[in-house]
Amino acid sequence: MATRSLKDQIASNEEAFKKTGALFGLETLKRKETDPGTYEAVWHILSNLCNAAWATGCKVSSSPIAAEGGDALWGLHTPTGEAICISRGISAHAGLLADMIKNFIDIGYEEYPGFKQGDIFENNDPHYGGIHSPDFDMCMPLFYEGELVAWASCVSHVADAGSVTPGSIGFINPDCYSDGLAISMERVGEGDRFYPWYELRIRSRTRTPDFVMGDARGRLAGCITLRERLFEVIEKYGLDLFKEASLEYVEDSRRYAVGRVKTQTVPGRIRKSQFKDLAMKGKRVLLAKQDVDCMFNLPMELTINADASVDLSLAGASGTVPFGENISPTALKSGLMMGYSHIIGFDMFNSGPISAWNIEMPPAGSWANPYPVDYQAASGVAWAPAVTWVSSLYEVFGRLFQTRGFIEEMAAGSGTIMTAEFSGINQTGMYLTGLTLEQASQGSPARGFADGENSAWCIYTPEADFGNAEISELYYPILFLGRNVAPDSGGYGRFRGGLGHTAVWMVYNTPGLEYQCGDAGMRSKIVGNHGMYGAYPAVPDRPGYGRDTNVKELIDAQKPLIHERGGPENPAVASAIEARDVQDNMIAPFVTPEPLQDYDIIVHPIAGAEAMGDPISRDPVTVVSDLNESWTSERVASDIHGVATTQSNGAYVVDEGKTARKREQIRKQRIARALPFKDWWEKEREKVQAQEGMDPAVIRMWASSMELSPKYAEELRRFWNLPEDFTFGS
Amino acid sequence: MAEFHKADIEKLIDGVLPWPATQDMLKSSKDEDRFDKYVEIMQERVEFQEPILLPLTPMLFIVAEDGKRVVKCSCGHGFGDYRVNWKLSSLIHVRDDEASMGEIYKGRELPDVAWIQLREYICPGCGSQLEVEAVPRGCPPDFEFLPDLDTFYREWLGRPLPDEVEYRDLTLDRIAEWTR
Repeated sequence: MATRSLKDQIASNEEAFKKTGALFGLETLKRKETDPGTYEAVWHILSNLCNAAWATGCKVSSSPIAAEGGDALWGLHTPTGEAICISRGISAHAGLLADMIKNFIDIGYEEYPGFKQGDIFENNDPHYGGIHSPDFDMCMPLFYEGELVAWASCVSHVADAGSVTPGSIGFINPDCYSDGLAISMERVGEGDRFYPWYELRIRSRTRTPDFVMGDARGRLAGCITLRERLFEVIEKYGLDLFKEASLEYVEDSRRYAVGRVKTQTVPGRIRKSQFKDLAMKGKRVLLAKQDVDCMFNLPMELTINADASVDLSLAGASGTVPFGENISPTALKSGLMMGYSHIIGFDMFNSGPISAWNIEMPPAGSWANPYPVDYQAASGVAWAPAVTWVSSLYEVFGRLFQTRGFIEEMAAGSGTIMTAEFSGINQTGMYLTGLTLEQASQGSPARGFADGENSAWCIYTPEADFGNAEISELYYPILFLGRNVAPDSGGYGRFRGGLGHTAVWMVYNTPGLEYQCGDAGMRSKIVGNHGMYGAYPAVPDRPGYGRDTNVKELIDAQKPLIHERGGPENPAVASAIEARDVQDNMIAPFVTPEPLQDYDIIVHPIAGAEAMGDPISRDPVTVVSDLNESWTSERVASDIHGVATTQSNGAYVVDEGKTARKREQIRKQRIARALPFKDWWEKEREKVQAQEGMDPAVIRMWASSMELSPKYAEELRRFWNLPEDFTFGS
Repeated sequence: MAEFHKADIEKLIDGVLPWPATQDMLKSSKDEDRFDKYVEIMQERVEFQEPILLPLTPMLFIVAEDGKRVVKCSCGHGFGDYRVNWKLSSLIHVRDDEASMGEIYKGRELPDVAWIQLREYICPGCGSQLEVEAVPRGCPPDFEFLPDLDTFYREWLGRPLPDEVEYRDLTLDRIAEWTR
């Protein structure tokens, strides 16, 4: 009997899903029902194979990002590409890897150049589904006794992919041609070896080729580990079991996610507006078109249907930006799948849960679907708008869980991601560029029953780990002067967001070091739209630095140095040291105007996460506990939380009577100063029509949102009672 | 299927359930009667008698009142038909200048008011801050959740509500009334 092509198998799988509502047409899970013990055991074995690949690959890699931060992922897939299970690591990529394999099949590679054991395929090109050039996606077909039975996949984040500026967070890239070295759906090796010309290209076109090749060898080592171990499993349990169970795992996971939606949420329509700034006007940029401020509209509308399927729309998404912050719909879907895995489908994480989603194609020409209109759009750090948008998913499902009483599952929105990258000569005389891992440990979102955790969470990876300071100091010519929890950095609410931290670095032992304060999902001009249940959103990201400082003199005199970010009205970079150039309130992102020198100081804040609930309903005892930990200030305790305190034995204690009166007074003041909504609406609509007090970036955002999504535009006009032909910017 | 005591769910809501018990709730299969227990708890806590159909937020509830489905704050203040964004019936305080924004965010943490405004939605009855929005001027208020109540009760809970109503967003109809 002739073997059906993979392309035909994909088509028949889709047909079977349409017909039965079950992936692969699996209306019964035979293996699970007949032998649940083996079914579960093999699942855990396969998961651990992926983890073994991760452990092996990261160590082989040797780059600080993989070896220290574990910023990589390995996956095992069905022959048609669906992820069966994945390793620990950057789970954001599972969908990308699955879609990459499907894409190799879809464009006919099975016929030419063909698939065989030992082939190595890669892609990092956003035009073909990649996320951004530093994320090298790899897959290898796995043949057992001549039959393609699975794929092994991997992604690792390289330190530099040769984009126009050093590093891997290419927010400043003006177009796709500046995004760096492109591996465009290529076979890059055979017989478990890379082609020699693959390495030659990496050597001539990336700034840290030893690390980039180390990552490549790490990916390969992990995939080979996965293959060899998988064959041992097949030998032990039989090929039929593996083939059947691996499909069942995907369908099982779909059922689990659909079941959770049906038993833990409520059908209906959920809307969440979200925005993100990218203020670049007047900063160091590459092309004239980039001398502009941008605002993103990141809307999310979900409809949960009667059958517990989920429709998703991005109607209203604003247009592309002349920076590396546009994302392909394929990559965005992977980000969504990652967020969904944290919230719903985490029991058996694979391609199953997302298959119950109907994702409307984002507006053509928007940041979420750039190429139909702007084929040259850059994606140097396409995650930036995506993760900020996915943050809404946490709040949205948190709200849904609340309606059913599943308080323990609730979460508010996530922290933002502002990165630090360095480039220059380090203390050993070696040129280096790369990412520090600080941003991989933000505060976690407030929960329905407690505050978020401090410095313990990251939206793009369950491996929330900022790595050892000493390892960063080993690679980069910096010394940590501080790494500490930042007071009041989480949102204010009944349950506050987990707090972020501050890294304070002193540049040391270098002829010059560039500091790129990067945007991988930060907000600096604005705060997130995460005032869940009356909380206040977390503060914006505002880094600082000091050039030509007196720090050497302070060290020589053994005087106190700078160790933290300082209060919002007395930033430490301005008060703890002296410097010729003091920047204590920078609007991120940016690249320093000239290289930093020895003893220059960088104050790099990492965000706390979002809160939930009215701040004056916060337990006063918790507020006082934060005060005694120096995690909040007297002002926030008093003015935001309405808590009155006294001192006893050097510690704060609650003054219960005064607190009750203060909170009552706040309630009365709120009612007294607020307006009936209609009164405000009447005045506000005039300001909207006059476009009064609106930054040009905001006006441009609304203009593009309305142009790209006519229905969204119509609703906006009707809400503000604007003329039918009203457009912003006119 | 797990079952949890009502008293433990109350402690969870109040943020005082010990961590091991909370972990148990997180890790166990979910209890099928959670919704009913939750509604029962909240019904005992609110200051109104009308039956809760759905807790919309920890403070706002869709309730059955005189044959209609309306939103009420836990203090009993009514916000009208649940199909109209309740924010249209609330009080609002907007921070769109540096002085008012500066009461919340100081110095280095001050957002740019030409980019964003802070909208505080206040209950006229009790002064609770029900929601906060941080959005640029021009953004209609989020209608966070319009539940399909009849589908929920009929198809998911298997006990239809006595009086089915049309599932439709009526917010723009209310705006149209304001502009006549």
